[in-house]
Amino acid sequence: MNIYDIQSLVEEDGIIFLSYGGFLSQTLISGMTEALEAESINNNISLGISNNIFTVFIEISQNMMNYSKDINPDDLNTKSHGLMMVTKDAEKNYYIHSQNVISLDDKLKVEEKIADIKSLDKEGIKKKYRELRRNGRELHDKGAGIGFYEIAKRSDEIDCIFKKINEDRFYLHLKIKIVTQK
Amino acid sequence: MENLNLIATKYTPSIDLNTNGIFSIVGKSYPENTFEFYEPMMQWLKKYFSNNTPEKTSVNMEIIYFNSSSSKLFFDFFDLLEENREEHNIEINWIYDADNESSEEAGQDFIEDFEDLTINLVTK
Repeated sequence: MNIYDIQSLVEEDGIIFLSYGGFLSQTLISGMTEALEAESINNNISLGISNNIFTVFIEISQNMMNYSKDINPDDLNTKSHGLMMVTKDAEKNYYIHSQNVISLDDKLKVEEKIADIKSLDKEGIKKKYRELRRNGRELHDKGAGIGFYEIAKRSDEIDCIFKKINEDRFYLHLKIKIVTQK
Repeated sequence: MENLNLIATKYTPSIDLNTNGIFSIVGKSYPENTFEFYEPMMQWLKKYFSNNTPEKTSVNMEIIYFNSSSSKLFFDFFDLLEENREEHNIEINWIYDADNESSEEAGQDFIEDFEDLTINLVTK
C-alpha cells in the first residue's frame, strides 16, 4: 500500500480516525480498542453496534497477531506485523481495514471460510457459528477457529482480497463494513 | 478450598468464585491466550463440584464484549455447569445493559444451547 492508496481510501470511505502499521501486541490492541470506545461514545453509537465494532476489530487484530508471517517464505516464524485502519463515511458506516502477510496454507483456510460465509444468509451464519462452537471442530491452541463467523455475525459486508507476493506468501486485505444507522 | 479472585484488566474480566456458591465474572474478555487465562477458573470449578457444595450455586455473568475464543470458553464453562446440574442447584444470571442487543443475543444463544440449565436474562 502506498500513500495514494490511502488517499483513495479516504475519498472512498471518508474519515480515518484510527490507523496503525507495525508490530502488534495485546497491549496495543487494547489501547486501540479504548480509542474506538471513545469514538463510539462521542458519536452516540448504540452499545450493541459499538460492541460489534470492537469485537470485529479485536478478532482481526488478534488474527493478525497470531498468523502474520514474514514475506520471506523460508522464515516460518509468526511475525505479528500489519496494518489496521478504521474509517467512516458520510452515512456513518464504519469500515475496519487490515493488511498482513499470510502463508499459502492460511490463505486456503481463509478462502474456504469466506466462501462458506458468502453462501449463507445472516441466520445461516449465526447457526453455523453455534454449530462450530458446540462441536469444537475448528478448535486449536490459539483459538476456537470461529473468528471469521464471529466477524460475519457482527458486520454487514466482508471484502477479502489476496495479493500474491511469492509462491508461499500472500497479502491479505480485509475490509469489514458495519452499518450504524439502521 | 479457597476462593478464587482475579482482578479485572483492560482485556480480562474480574473473576470471583466463592466457596459459598456465589460466582461473578464481570468485564471485557479478549485475552491473548483465552484457554490459558481461564484454566485456573475451570480447574477451580472442577474441584468445587467434586466437594460438598452449598445448597445453591449462583453465577452472575456480566461480559461487556468478548472475542470468539472467549465465546467458545463460555460455552465450555456452561457445559461444565450443565454436567453438574443434577447434583447441584445452579442458576445463571446473564447480565447486560438494556440497549446492548449483541449481549442479549449472546445470552439467548446460550439459553437455546443449554436447555437444561437455568439461565436468566437480566437487564441492568
